[in-house]
Amino acid sequence: MTDDRLLERMLAGDEEAFADLYRRKHPAIYRFALHMSGNAAMAEDVTQEVFMALIREPKRFDPQRGTLSAFLFGIARNHLRKRWEQDKRLLPMAPDMEEDDFAPAASSNGSGHKPMLTFVDELESLDTIGLVRRTISTLPEGYREVVVLCELEEMSYEEAAAALGCPVGTVRSRLHRGRAILLEKLRDAHEARSVSAVANRRGGE
Amino acid sequence: MNCTQFEEALHDLDRPGTQGFASREDALAHAESCGDCAQLLTHSESLDLALRKISQGASEAQASAHMEKLLREEFRQQWAKTEGGNQRWQSALLATAAGLLLALGFSLHYWSERQPVGKVSVSPVTAPAPDESRLSEFAMNAGDWEEAATNSQSLDSDSATDFVALPYADDSMAGEGGAIVRVVLSRQALASLGMPVTDLGSADRIPADIVVSEDGAPQAIRLVAQSDVDE
Repeated sequence: MTDDRLLERMLAGDEEAFADLYRRKHPAIYRFALHMSGNAAMAEDVTQEVFMALIREPKRFDPQRGTLSAFLFGIARNHLRKRWEQDKRLLPMAPDMEEDDFAPAASSNGSGHKPMLTFVDELESLDTIGLVRRTISTLPEGYREVVVLCELEEMSYEEAAAALGCPVGTVRSRLHRGRAILLEKLRDAHEARSVSAVANRRGGE
Repeated sequence: MNCTQFEEALHDLDRPGTQGFASREDALAHAESCGDCAQLLTHSESLDLALRKISQGASEAQASAHMEKLLREEFRQQWAKTEGGNQRWQSALLATAAGLLLALGFSLHYWSERQPVGKVSVSPVTAPAPDESRLSEFAMNAGDWEEAATNSQSLDSDSATDFVALPYADDSMAGEGGAIVRVVLSRQALASLGMPVTDLGSADRIPADIVVSEDGAPQAIRLVAQSDVDE
């Protein structure tokens, strides 16, 4: 059954239709909020707000202006922004964030020293997934949105453009720029850790 | 392909349907002959790998099961509220309609009780002006006239001046029935209807018969003689 049909039935008071719609749409909304905020509790809250809005003001959705998914993503984005404004502490990767937050989990070689990994090795290491995730969250919001949708949610440019309500070209250029920033930041983080590892090794000798 | 073109295509190499994907072979060939672009390609592929791992790690992530319950409850409440609101609107509309019907019924009933006893002959435009010689007879005590106005005796039997059509009377209503109503009017009111009041003595309130058409509009007026009222 299509989203439109489910929504139609939901508007007629069909609770099961709403539940179907929720089950169909909420994982993507939740993951988007999770990747954007890096905070599960916030993602849960945002998801709840999105569907509360759908229940309370379903007429706000205008099929002429976009898909239901785009409408829901739009609400999620607005709620995320509100939450960030309300609680600056949750702003991902604030400038005063501790450097340790970037550090991957301690290696298990028993020496206490971080191994000298190449940049590529680090990216491929499971230990560095957290680092990549955190680095994504440092991206400016516009870039972060397209990285989350196109890379983590694996949406096409067209789908992301519909969800964000912007042209496909904008999505493409933001994604390219976002990835370039991401590579640059990861390279910087790698270099900083390499210097630190060399210093530690010399100190230990 | 040069380095600039390579950088433009780099992020779309694995994205079907894009220009970068279409030029993938050229890009890879360029990377084999360019050290910087080869390094860039390696970094980009490594980033892709890391992103895929993050994506896979979160692929099963979803909101707690409790949330569906909570939202279902909210849905039920919201729907009950909406239905309640609709029912209140319907009740209000029904009550208003019933009130209007009752008011209409009472009005019709009241009007039917005031229907004329017989046809009234009125010559609206051509009616002669009231006989001014008789107007002096109409001066009388206001209290007496009020009593007379409420008298239930037949108005048709009163002798008086001829009916004079009122300025705004509807010609088509003349002679089509209606009611004669005896009223007591002030001198100013009579003057505003075009009646000569200078010869009516000093009484402030003067009795008169008014022909009212079926739609309730006054059509003609005549002054009632004092003797008629006294009888």
